[in-house]
Amino acid sequence: MSALGGSMRRGAGGRALFLRRNGPLIMVYAFILLLVVIGATQSERFLSERNLANVARQSAFLGIVALGQMLVILTAGIDLSVGSLVKVSILVSAIVMNGESANVVPAILATLALGVLVGLVHGFLINELRIAPFIVTLASLVILKGIGLTISSSPVGKASREVMMFYVQKVGPLPVIALMFFVLVILTMLLLRYTVFGKHLVAVGGNVEVAHLSGVPVKRTRYGVYVICSLTAAVTGLLWLSRMGVGDPAIGDGIELQTITAVIIGGTSLFGGRASVLGTLGGVLLLGITANLLVMLGVSQFIQGLIQGVIIVAAVALYKQEGD
Amino acid sequence: MSKPILEMRGISKSFAGVQALNKVSFRCQAGLVYGLVGENGAGKSTLMKILAGVYKADAGDIIYKGQPRLSASTGEVIASGISIIYQELALVPQMSVAENIFLGREPRTSLGLLDLGRLHARSDQLLSRLGVALDTRSLVSQLTIAQQQLVEIAKALSQAADLIVMDEPSAILAGSELDQLFDIIAALKAQGVTIIYISHRLEEVFRIADEVTVLKDGEVVDSRPIGQLDRHTLVRLMVGRSLDEIFPQTDHEQGDLALIADDIATDTILDGVSLRLHAGEILGIAGMVGSGRTELARALFGADPLTRGEVRLVGEAPHWKTPSQAIRAGVALVPEDRKSQGLFTALSVRINITIPILSRLSRLGIVRRAREERVVSDAQQRLSIVMTSPEQETQYLSGGNQQKVVLAKWLETAPAVIILDEPTRGVDVGAKFEIYKLMRQLNDRGIAIIMISSELPEIIGMSDRILVMNDGRVAGQLLREDADEERIIELATLGGAEAQSA
Repeated sequence: MSALGGSMRRGAGGRALFLRRNGPLIMVYAFILLLVVIGATQSERFLSERNLANVARQSAFLGIVALGQMLVILTAGIDLSVGSLVKVSILVSAIVMNGESANVVPAILATLALGVLVGLVHGFLINELRIAPFIVTLASLVILKGIGLTISSSPVGKASREVMMFYVQKVGPLPVIALMFFVLVILTMLLLRYTVFGKHLVAVGGNVEVAHLSGVPVKRTRYGVYVICSLTAAVTGLLWLSRMGVGDPAIGDGIELQTITAVIIGGTSLFGGRASVLGTLGGVLLLGITANLLVMLGVSQFIQGLIQGVIIVAAVALYKQEGD
Repeated sequence: MSKPILEMRGISKSFAGVQALNKVSFRCQAGLVYGLVGENGAGKSTLMKILAGVYKADAGDIIYKGQPRLSASTGEVIASGISIIYQELALVPQMSVAENIFLGREPRTSLGLLDLGRLHARSDQLLSRLGVALDTRSLVSQLTIAQQQLVEIAKALSQAADLIVMDEPSAILAGSELDQLFDIIAALKAQGVTIIYISHRLEEVFRIADEVTVLKDGEVVDSRPIGQLDRHTLVRLMVGRSLDEIFPQTDHEQGDLALIADDIATDTILDGVSLRLHAGEILGIAGMVGSGRTELARALFGADPLTRGEVRLVGEAPHWKTPSQAIRAGVALVPEDRKSQGLFTALSVRINITIPILSRLSRLGIVRRAREERVVSDAQQRLSIVMTSPEQETQYLSGGNQQKVVLAKWLETAPAVIILDEPTRGVDVGAKFEIYKLMRQLNDRGIAIIMISSELPEIIGMSDRILVMNDGRVAGQLLREDADEERIIELATLGGAEAQSA
């Protein structure tokens, strides 16, 4: 309402804005706290260092890709291919590595190159052929999965010893993999807050026409964000190799939906222009802790899916109330 | 005097402690046209939303057709015969004219199936009541904005509306379309329909209103039959500023040639336009909506690729191909549709202002926060933008302040040429004046301005030269001294061939 000029608006507007911006975040973390309390009281093992390290690691596996997914969604795009790309990445890296320490660097480089390539192809199809991101990455999901299963339908290749050791390495009580995720969270926050590229992501997602007319390099921004997202999937493929020790073709399925879930729970708008790194972190932790807790409490896997679904609907319904 | 069809008495409404309406009283006799005028934020829309049932008044009575109305849902209000046509039309583009008119109230056969025959017949009937010929089977997406508005009016009639509120209908219309709208209003009036017409444009109010009510800061300043008002008085009532000050004059000299466009054409309607623009001048572009004015602006800015011809700044290498190159060359475009092209409505004032100059504010891709802050606070002061903080989302600013944010963004790019496409659309008189003054200041600094506008008084009052577009070409060029509304309309409606004097 333009009628509401003047200073009195400031207080109410500021408070509303604060709630609107941070309401989802507060709720997500409150819910996480609740889960932790439930876990601590219902299971002796929940708060053990070993279990917490596991939760942290599992969250990192999902979280790294979720960050990439969040950036894509911030531009009003989506990347459905990340799960299949994780699958191809673990296969490629395992085959190239073949258990040899000498092959670690080539394997990592090959996998990252694969990520860059996939991201560039996505960018090309979306930018130059103007195909919707949903379609492009849906096709990519199917194609990459097909490639993965063509490479092998049973475990192939092998991680080197150091790579396998990487999975269990810790800094103090913290697994290195979780630390890595934490660093990426910080970097992503800095990216969105302080860099030109970050602002361009927001602008493209906010309104692509306005961005174009404002001189934002829309195509370059899109290439960049799809490459980053594919890179997070490739890195996660490498981490999975470190965990599994072999190129297991069963890895990767469903990651795309889990990352989208985490991003949505975190309050990032599917329509673009607004993203929350802390929210995504919260979404990832929420999913990770829920899964862990349900296993601890011996709840069936099928019920777990149901509970996750309820969380999504509940979260989004609550944001809607806050937003109004 | 007959009994009024509508009487709103002592309506008050506040939002979050801010008084939007204070004891506003407003009454309508059946079959008359009421102008409701006032600056943005005066409370016009709030008053009408209370009438529509969108908001509930804090105090006051609404008496409609002799019955007091306590509170009503929007649906009940429509059913009682009140229809509101908002600026943002509420039509489904993928559906036909007839389907839109009867959306949700489709005539059915005895079997409960859609009765297409009756649907189209009744739609035809309604449209002919408006005196317009429109194929009821064509899709709304294929209609012009003006035609879509007619569909909205027909929809209102289909709901047996005897009171129709039009919220700034002219903001999206031009020239002849406006005449058509006025004809329709006259026809509706003759049929006994009461019209409340909200507008910023005073000329229109004088053409069609029987009585004018002026709102200012949530209160009724005055309410009089149109015969007792003149333009001067009305403007003074609205803003407390007289008409002579609306178009600020300066006696600047025309500078050197700044921008040249030679025979440019695009895939759109634009078909061979040439123009010369000098430093420190305002070149007005007039023409009907759809004449290629906006396409010209986009082509000059590199937003649409040229299929022939070239645009360049004097003394510089060839033209630019993209907006970002144009911006670097020193050209800025303030687009026509603020909400879809000019502003990130869901984003902060800060990013809206700094987005084109981020690279200048940053080092190694990292934005220097302090410099960014300074740019925003400077812009806020220079243009006196009213906002709660740089983080406020621009959708919560008034139209005038939104436009200032867009202007601020482009001024920060330090352009040599600014293209303004409908710079004062949806902006109240006070903000308009500020924008005009700003344009003169830019002229004084040697900046060349191209101003596209549907408002002829604005074109004539502000431009040094006027190009009139018609059908993708320049139909003629006028100097300020020779320009009057008739000449412009003549050029804009005649084929370009007869008037090719440019």
